[in-house]
Amino acid sequence: MLSYAIRRMLILIPMLIVISFFIYSGLELMPGDAVSYMIDPEAAAELAPEKLDALRDSLGLNDPFILRYFKWFGGVLKGDFGYSLSSGVPIRDIVFDRLPATLELSFIALVLSTMFGSILGFISAIRKGSIADNTLTVVGMLGVSVPQFVFGLVAILIFALKLKWLPVGGRLMPEYITYWDRFPHIIMPALVLAATMTAGVMRYSRSSMLDSMNKEYIKTARSKGLPEWRVNLVHGFRVALTPVIVLVGFRLPTLIGGAVVIEQIFQWPGIGNEFITAVRGQNFPLVMMIALFSVFAVLIASFLVDLFTAILDPRVKLG
Amino acid sequence: MENIKKKNTRLDRSFDKLRAREEAGLIKKSNMNRQLRKMLNNKLAVAGLIIFSIIVLASIFAPLICKYDPLMINLKEVLKAPSVDHILGTDRVGRDIFSRIVFGGRVSILVGLGSALGAALVGVSLGCYAGYKGGFIDGIFLRLSEIFMAFPQIILVLLLVSILGQSLMNLIVIFIITGWGPMYRMARAKMLSLREEEYVQALKSFGLNTFTICYKHILPNALGPIMVNITLSTAMFILQEAALSFLGLGVPLNIATWGNILNAAQELRILQENWWMWLPVGIVISLFVLSVNFIGDGLRDSTDPSQQG
Repeated sequence: MLSYAIRRMLILIPMLIVISFFIYSGLELMPGDAVSYMIDPEAAAELAPEKLDALRDSLGLNDPFILRYFKWFGGVLKGDFGYSLSSGVPIRDIVFDRLPATLELSFIALVLSTMFGSILGFISAIRKGSIADNTLTVVGMLGVSVPQFVFGLVAILIFALKLKWLPVGGRLMPEYITYWDRFPHIIMPALVLAATMTAGVMRYSRSSMLDSMNKEYIKTARSKGLPEWRVNLVHGFRVALTPVIVLVGFRLPTLIGGAVVIEQIFQWPGIGNEFITAVRGQNFPLVMMIALFSVFAVLIASFLVDLFTAILDPRVKLG
Repeated sequence: MENIKKKNTRLDRSFDKLRAREEAGLIKKSNMNRQLRKMLNNKLAVAGLIIFSIIVLASIFAPLICKYDPLMINLKEVLKAPSVDHILGTDRVGRDIFSRIVFGGRVSILVGLGSALGAALVGVSLGCYAGYKGGFIDGIFLRLSEIFMAFPQIILVLLLVSILGQSLMNLIVIFIITGWGPMYRMARAKMLSLREEEYVQALKSFGLNTFTICYKHILPNALGPIMVNITLSTAMFILQEAALSFLGLGVPLNIATWGNILNAAQELRILQENWWMWLPVGIVISLFVLSVNFIGDGLRDSTDPSQQG
């Protein structure tokens, strides 16, 4: 088991290096370099080209590409993520400043959607073909078809603008002291995000449950004379839950990036919101780092999911 | 034993009826026919097909339906509510919303369908060959697809937008880059099981070359899941185009697309007071994606017997 875990972890390292290389070289293709961002174009036009070149030299911008890449990657490993082009703030500060908001939102949405999704999928599967199942199927289909942001806009219109129950967006205000002060702000984004995710989990857990109800061990359980609820719940649902949990595991990291649109329309000050601003403002170092972070999160999550399934399912080959 | 508690659903019953008629020799048995008939028996899929056809036909014949040019600015009629003249009202610069939705459908559907087909073309042709041959090529493409799939989809799309820049063509290319991975894996997985079949052994012993075997003889047997995948990715890409354009990072704003029309709703005043500017187009996107998803599900049910549970 331990050797499997270590081997699985070692695969991550080349992946990460290759991906960071891709991102770095992609942004290298961009017109302009750090110097052209530092000095405004009019001033740059008046400066002597030799001076600009000297500046580039002192910043190491004239080094060969590979050398610059390794310098940059070395810096990243040491925790030096560079600086935002628009504000000059270290990227590390920006990321750690924004991460809690995103994690808070994603975590609530993930918990709610997993809970409701798996329960609804379960009900839908054991009542296959009934009115409840058909309704849930159509509602679930609606949930994956209506664009997240349209759903969010309708929610803002109804609950914030018409009924005035909840704030339009934002997260923190100077006068907020306790968590309850800012609680109303998270209700809408979290519920909208959770609702759209629930639909996906529900569809998945329904088909997983149907799959497990067709297995031989369910027949065995029935022929032992167990009551139907026990067959469904203990023998069917528990087994059907494993793939659902795996799916949720894979969702975990996408939440860092997956809430981009929701964060934007509710003005939630998270990583996704920052990412959009960076893409709009062509703030390439920040774009690069946030992308790298989200990839890192995905790789770690898929590593954990693999470990988890290896523990749960003895058929997974460890060799 | 076999029938304990095994309930027949409506779909099962109608499939049984179909089989009975086939056996009685009333209708032809060819595989294509059967799948079509199964699909037409699925109410949701038929409803999806109808909505899908209406929206697609409306976009194709857009110039015949619309009274106004979608880009024509008319500053005398700004932010007008729906009326006989403008069925869905006008926007901030007096453009007719109905025309914009109908013409916008052309671009949005083109982006969605075009990207899905492009991704399928790249993913399937690579996956088919690599899955059949295995070895070195397969390893490389597998790693490559893993790299692309390690990014959360929207982050990768936005990263590529910031590298390649914003244009209609770029958006399609970006969607193909982000979408070929899953297609590749699906085609490859299908090939891995199909290549062990006996007819493949037979073809090999006839001395047919690899290309003929895998593209002409094996690929048609994997068409079912490929079609399902193309429909579902079309739905996904249309949603992504809408989200990106809504954020102002997708198709350039001077081209009417469904997402670009929605872009106006970022302003709270418009959201509250001018519902006609965003609600109808939101409904059209949802309906279209819904219909594509229903078609995809119907296709899967009719081509893949194992999904009927």
